[in-house]
Amino acid sequence: MRFQRKSDETAVQRSAASKRVLENFVPPEDVPIGFELASLGARFGAVILDLILTWFAILLLILAVAWLGILPKTALFALVVISAFFVGVPYYVLSELIWNGRTLGKRIVGIMVISADSRALGAHQVVARNLLKDVEFFAPLGLVLQWNYTSTAQSWIAALILLVWTLFVAIYPIRNKRKQRLGDVVAGTLVIVKPKAILLDDLALSEARGGFVFDQTQLDIYGSYELQTLEAILRDPSKSQLHAAELEKVAKAIARRINYPEHAIGADPRLFLMAFYREQRERLESRLLFGERRQDKFHSDAPKPK
Amino acid sequence: MTDQFSASPNRIEAELLRSARFRMLREPGWRKLEALVKQAETHGLAGLNYTEAKELAALYRQAMTSLALARDISLDLALLNYLDQLCARAWLVVYVPQRSLSGAFGRLLRQGIPQAVRRSLLPLLIGFSAMMLGAITGFVLFFRDQSWFYTFVPGGLSDGRAPGASVGYLRDTLYGDASLHSGDVLTAFAAYLFSHNTNIAIFIFGLGIFWALPSFVLTFYNGLMLGASFALFVQAGLGYDAFAWLSIHGVTEISAICIACAGGARLGLAGLMPGQMSRRDSLRLHGRDAVKLFLLAGLMLLVAGVVEGVLRQSVTSPEARLLIGWGLGGFWVLWLWRSGRTSGAKA
Repeated sequence: MRFQRKSDETAVQRSAASKRVLENFVPPEDVPIGFELASLGARFGAVILDLILTWFAILLLILAVAWLGILPKTALFALVVISAFFVGVPYYVLSELIWNGRTLGKRIVGIMVISADSRALGAHQVVARNLLKDVEFFAPLGLVLQWNYTSTAQSWIAALILLVWTLFVAIYPIRNKRKQRLGDVVAGTLVIVKPKAILLDDLALSEARGGFVFDQTQLDIYGSYELQTLEAILRDPSKSQLHAAELEKVAKAIARRINYPEHAIGADPRLFLMAFYREQRERLESRLLFGERRQDKFHSDAPKPK
Repeated sequence: MTDQFSASPNRIEAELLRSARFRMLREPGWRKLEALVKQAETHGLAGLNYTEAKELAALYRQAMTSLALARDISLDLALLNYLDQLCARAWLVVYVPQRSLSGAFGRLLRQGIPQAVRRSLLPLLIGFSAMMLGAITGFVLFFRDQSWFYTFVPGGLSDGRAPGASVGYLRDTLYGDASLHSGDVLTAFAAYLFSHNTNIAIFIFGLGIFWALPSFVLTFYNGLMLGASFALFVQAGLGYDAFAWLSIHGVTEISAICIACAGGARLGLAGLMPGQMSRRDSLRLHGRDAVKLFLLAGLMLLVAGVVEGVLRQSVTSPEARLLIGWGLGGFWVLWLWRSGRTSGAKA
């Protein structure tokens, strides 16, 4: 029993560790989609990029206008004030509205905002999350940077409030399962990695079979986790030619485990592994059709003995 | 173009592995969807013609079905990942906001904002009472001890208006000196005040999420400044003039700050008293109205900024100032009270 539970846990950890996949995201078509959540580092990078880009644009604009000399000094001042205001909340709202949840920084980093209810991203959601960005990110950042650290005149109460505030907004998204900051919670939004679809060749078709024969008992040992690990090894280009020795190790380990004579592997372990992959997949998939999903070699999802 | 992906029928028949056959049969459709999605990603949905758009919808649903099926019959990780990502990309293209921004803006003005305001009476009460309490406190404290003025009003904003300033100087600040305030300076000042006020409003609104308390405190503090400044003019015997000067833009501007505070209070109350809902759901639900309250505040601040830049120094009679200021106030009330009621609405 104890062994059983332990293998359950490892199976869960395995699936969680590979990618931070968003769970229970079900579009109107009722088929769950596995988006990958954007890391907080990527999001921080995107906002820093946005800050740099927008302030650089303002600088260029001001320099250009001043150089052309088309505006009087006071109007120039008004231009600075208005553009400084515009690159705050309005810039983030407009860019996320126009580019469907992406600012320039997010486009560069390759992340985007989606609605957590799996419908189209609404305008009020974009406004809400960016209004709160001010108290969650810009204001604490500004206060921390402008804080007069040498002066004792500023009371310790203000310092304490700032500390608690900064810690709260920093820790909230870290502790959050879906990495939502407060603005995301109010708006009902999530930040995800922009998906890229690449279809790799079907391994089961790619090579000629080498005349290996496996019997049923040999194919009943491994589960889909081991199958997909083998798939990853076979697909990894660094292992296909360079690490023939490692492939041989894998082939020998499998042969030992399933009682297949080691000398029958032959000169090319890759051929053996390909053949085994195909046979194993066929066996597991045909059992899947009968409703029997075998997770791994521990049979952790098999009905538990009473 | 798609033919390069489809295997010959003989090959599909000969293949014994069910999941491989599944993939061979459907791959051309997926590839086609991929191309359409790519086209829509670069040129927008408007870049597709009628047949392409129809195809996109049909292929998207087919791909979703394939994904559901593949999860049940295939153990090919590459295939599962590909379909997952393909469907995700197609979903992002299919479920983009369909409504035009201008249409959304019109709807917001006609229905969204007035309805949200009428649903938020308690937060509005909190917002306005914070300002009123602050103003009264500032006013009373000023008459107790004038040095409170320096505590409440930061030097940068008072512009020489301080206890001890001559009545003549104070009158000048109210009625302006045409030579002192040329149009350019005034526009620049209005632009500055608008962005300053809007930033304060954003701040007051956003801080509301911390259980509404900081919004209340900040609005109260704004009230203190207002009360103390007003008391300064009252003491110099300029109460009526100052009231008129303040009214022309202040009715709109100060109400806007109160409404931003109300938006913050709406968020704070949602977090404090979620009722039967989870705190997260409650925040999301009340967030919709709170955002509309903030947008109203932003709109009012914009109007106040225009009034300030254009009318404040050019209209000098106190009566006209009062009329414009409170007339504008009456317009806001009328709009928010009457607009967007559905016919035969419940009381």
